Amino acid sequence: MSDSSNTDQQRREALAKMGTGLVAISVSTAWGQVSPQKARASGAVLKRLTTLEGKNLEALGDVLLPGAARAGIAHFVDDQLGSPTPLLMLRYVDYPVPFLDFYRQGLGSLENLSRTRHAKSFSALSLEQKVEIVREVSRENPSGWSGPPAPLFYFVTRGDAVDVCYGTQEGFKRLNIPYLGHILPTKKW
Amino acid sequence: MANTKVDAVIVGSGSAGSLLAAKLSQAGKKVLVLEAGPKRGMADLVSSQIWARRLKWAGPATETGGKDPLSIGFGSGWGTGGAGMHHYACWFRLHPEDFEMKSRFGKGLDWPISYDDLRPAYDQVQKEVGISGDADKEVWRPKGDAYPMPPLSMLKQGRLIARGFEKLGLRTAPLPMAINSVEYNGRPACIYDGWCDAGCPTKALANPLTVYLPQAIQAGATVVHQGAVTRVLTNAEGTRATGVEYFNALGQRVVQEADVVVLAAYTFETPRILLNSRPGGLANSSGMVGRYMMAHTTSNVYGLFDEETQNYLGLTGGQLVSQDSYAKDPQKGYLGSSQWLIANAMKPNDLLGISNTRPDLFGEPLHAFLRDASANLGTMTFVGEALPDADNRLVLSEKKDRHGFPLAQVTHQFGPDAIKCWEAGLKQGKAIFEAAGAKQVWTGGRAQMHTMGGAIMGRSAETSVANGYGQAHGVGNLFLAGSSLFPTSGGVNPTFTVTALAARSARFLVDNWKSL
Repeated sequence: MSDSSNTDQQRREALAKMGTGLVAISVSTAWGQVSPQKARASGAVLKRLTTLEGKNLEALGDVLLPGAARAGIAHFVDDQLGSPTPLLMLRYVDYPVPFLDFYRQGLGSLENLSRTRHAKSFSALSLEQKVEIVREVSRENPSGWSGPPAPLFYFVTRGDAVDVCYGTQEGFKRLNIPYLGHILPTKKW
Repeated sequence: MANTKVDAVIVGSGSAGSLLAAKLSQAGKKVLVLEAGPKRGMADLVSSQIWARRLKWAGPATETGGKDPLSIGFGSGWGTGGAGMHHYACWFRLHPEDFEMKSRFGKGLDWPISYDDLRPAYDQVQKEVGISGDADKEVWRPKGDAYPMPPLSMLKQGRLIARGFEKLGLRTAPLPMAINSVEYNGRPACIYDGWCDAGCPTKALANPLTVYLPQAIQAGATVVHQGAVTRVLTNAEGTRATGVEYFNALGQRVVQEADVVVLAAYTFETPRILLNSRPGGLANSSGMVGRYMMAHTTSNVYGLFDEETQNYLGLTGGQLVSQDSYAKDPQKGYLGSSQWLIANAMKPNDLLGISNTRPDLFGEPLHAFLRDASANLGTMTFVGEALPDADNRLVLSEKKDRHGFPLAQVTHQFGPDAIKCWEAGLKQGKAIFEAAGAKQVWTGGRAQMHTMGGAIMGRSAETSVANGYGQAHGVGNLFLAGSSLFPTSGGVNPTFTVTALAARSARFLVDNWKSL
């Protein structure tokens, strides 16, 4: 195998012509298909999650993988929740539909936990307080938790954070690994 | 509404259904394939772990429970080609003893056929599909024709891990893959970019869209997408299938009459359709429809090496195999076979991605780990046998699908033999990685892969659902195909056996059409 051979590279390029875009993830906004990061930066309004839910999902995302909020985790999840077949990690854990309930109930439990313990919304906690809660959520259901099992909620939202930060061509580049895509997506999935 | 009657209606366009469609069409039969999911082509196989989720099941939900719940969504397929579109193409033959568990070891079940009965179909399919491998180096391999292609290349990750096996006196061989190492049957060679599980658009990997579905369509078969089959229709006695009922993309109920019905709808839908087809279930005088649901145990061993592993390159299924622990020896303290799939290609995200090798990490440590592991992580996958257990069962739920038919509910747990086999495997795996020189070694938790059973084949109509050709007991013109038929799991990936069984069924159907 000559993974860097001219022949293989030519074939990659030919295959890539079956699609012509960047390997990006995108969300539907008033400005068309843009990346979750751009959607967030342009102030696109969430369509399924409430403002509070979006804020807490971003705060959770930044604890799970710093940078996830800026990468648009809330806009990515929100957009996917509008699809009849969302392409979220949640799809792999056989959780019953509707998927919005998973996020709504999990984020609600996170918010209740935060208010019970610290009398503040989760997004307003200090980093240390957030980390303490997330660590507990990753291991077991905290007292008063309802909805999806807390470790499952941690696992899935952590997966969402990794998706937006590293599941793209730009993410691979940040890890110094070649993307080697055969067909690059051109439209919203 | 009703369609024009066909000779054969095939439910499912995956590995088994596509082969049957090709063979029956080529024999001059009028064939209609009903695929529950959407139409897909090669250009839909986008290189992205996120986009790849489109290929996974999105039909009626199955409730999954028990001590070791079966995974529904990850292994199932959705759309043209079914699960075959995202399978890793690790193509192994079952071993002769896998067919004779009960008679040889007093545990599990016997198949109604032997390895020698299935061998011609393995050889036929191997030639038609194309497998790369080295039969001589696979010292454990059952007798059979040599592979039509030389093995795929061993890359850095494979070489690093292989030295651990060597130091412990264990043997490895190139992984036999339904992936071209050289151009074969008009399909190109693999370029080792590691996107197999996102669907391979290069055509190097044999999936239904590259091999049998085009043959079926060329021979006149029709594929209807978004056709969700709910029932097999029968005569009043339930002894003859008259066709199927399905709901089309517009939600309209359609009756499709056929002389022969083939259910190749994957492990969860095939028994569900049978159970929904008539009170008490169709072909269910034995009460065995839905029983013996099985899966392999699995875990990955991970290691961080000083050397770069280039784990982004290669094949999702791996580069090497070792079956030194395949022999079923009750002296081990358990009954079961296992194998290692060595040096799997990995990407950063997704269920089996690098990030989930350390699910405990979050925050900056996760960033740091991803940077390190993207360069230096090696892995291999354990595949372990689980004995059949009638109590691992799929039944109808009280919940209904959008057409008003009960959903499936499945309960599953691994038995003690499977757990001991898995424990022994992981202990060995860690030792191998330590011997290979990994500076950190860890393992994932026990999981399961490759669902099988639920409509098993057997010699007796009292203890099984179908005979050795997949022909349903008591309903001579109803055939079952896919891993639902497996009475035992063996310790190898099932797709080659699924395809070989389908080839054997197709031959039987063509030869015995008038007397079915």
